[in-house]
Amino acid sequence: MKSMRGWGVLQEVRSWFVVALAFGLVAASTRVAPAADTPPQVVRKLTDAVIAVLQEKSMSADAKRDKIRNIVVDYIDFPTMSRLVLARNWSGLNEGQKKSFIEEFKQHLSVTYGKNVESYNNEKVQITGDRDESRGDWTVQTKILRPEGGGDILVDYRLRQVSGEWKVIDLVIERVSLVSNFRSQFQDVMANGGIDRLLKLLHEKNAAGQPLKS
Amino acid sequence: MPKRMSWCGGSTLTVLLLILATPGLAQMEALPSGPPTRAQEVSAAAENDPIESVNRKIFWFNDHLDMYVLEPVAKGWHFVLPDRVETSITNFFYNLRFPIHTLNDLLQGKFKNAGIDVGRFVVNTTVGVAGFFDPATGWGLPMHWEDFGQTLGWWGVGPGPYLVLPILGPSDLRDGGGLIVDSAASITPFFVNTYILLGARAVELVNTRAQYLDVVRKAKESAFDYYTFVRNAYLQRRVGLINDEEPHEDAGQEDLYHPEGK
Repeated sequence: MKSMRGWGVLQEVRSWFVVALAFGLVAASTRVAPAADTPPQVVRKLTDAVIAVLQEKSMSADAKRDKIRNIVVDYIDFPTMSRLVLARNWSGLNEGQKKSFIEEFKQHLSVTYGKNVESYNNEKVQITGDRDESRGDWTVQTKILRPEGGGDILVDYRLRQVSGEWKVIDLVIERVSLVSNFRSQFQDVMANGGIDRLLKLLHEKNAAGQPLKS
Repeated sequence: MPKRMSWCGGSTLTVLLLILATPGLAQMEALPSGPPTRAQEVSAAAENDPIESVNRKIFWFNDHLDMYVLEPVAKGWHFVLPDRVETSITNFFYNLRFPIHTLNDLLQGKFKNAGIDVGRFVVNTTVGVAGFFDPATGWGLPMHWEDFGQTLGWWGVGPGPYLVLPILGPSDLRDGGGLIVDSAASITPFFVNTYILLGARAVELVNTRAQYLDVVRKAKESAFDYYTFVRNAYLQRRVGLINDEEPHEDAGQEDLYHPEGK
């Protein structure tokens, strides 16, 4: 009898334990669920969104550019990218210069990549793999498939987590990192004229490339 | 970014490359005795370009040659020929690189890739009608670029100083030297008339340039300093091609993605 009651208590405890565990899991999973997508999911969403816009037949090129710009701005971490691009020069900038650089650089990338809108030729994006990098970064490897010929293009996205969300901080196109490439060019510019010359050049280029209205 | 155009003008070029390559051979990092080390990542500060002023002049010359001769011709070519024909011509010349690719696969111990390259050549030369079509890629025999510069890099030879070669474009001491070995390994049917060979080279050059009309135009438009843009892209791409077997992070990336240190 005593042992039976002991058994019952045990049973009860166990069922409570199960319930608690279940609740705990649910609670835990609801806490996790709204949190960020994994890096491959982020890249998938980004490329799907861009291709969906490119495939729109009824939209004007300008409207497409606007839309793509908005998508890209959501997925790329421009402040981090700007800091990486300017590297050692970054710390020498005052807040105002940092802000204008981020703005101009963002504009420059969207002007440059907005130009590709017209040349869309049924390309598809395939995610071919992903890997973790040092210090928590993540790389997602993709391939742009070109059904009209010309060979596939390898594009790697490097992502970094910013307050729980994965954001793109570099694009490595056919093994050429944009951050490294811009850094190299900007170092040259800053060596002969400093940040003022760089900001002026960026501004002129953006103005000439018909900046997109925000 | 345009791939390096593989135009080899025969003996003059070889002599030129020898002149360019030999005095600096001692500057090449010593050949490794142990297992191959991985090529260093290109960080902006590490772009080794001691003869930049000379390079810039040759670059300027190449760029003008391109603007006034090659690009207009390539535009006409691209306008006249359907994309499919261009792709076929690309395939044809790529197929002829089979001995170069296979040799360099073997020199790097990439036996599987060597097998793939032999398989590609057999399939594309027969089923692919003398190499004009590329059924091999669809059959699980993908193309991949190998050259002797990559082989040297794989064995741990550093790029040495960056060089801009007349007509051939961006290179470095290691890769420029590699071109000589590769041109010796290429299929050059000596019994074919020289003019026909030259004509074939010209076709290859124009056709290759035609593949990159848009890319080059956009690169020039977006670049802040086109010379630096090309130099950085070339050096990065070469590191990537050398490390293609194991594309993983290493020392230089620490600086690239964490410039603040720590």
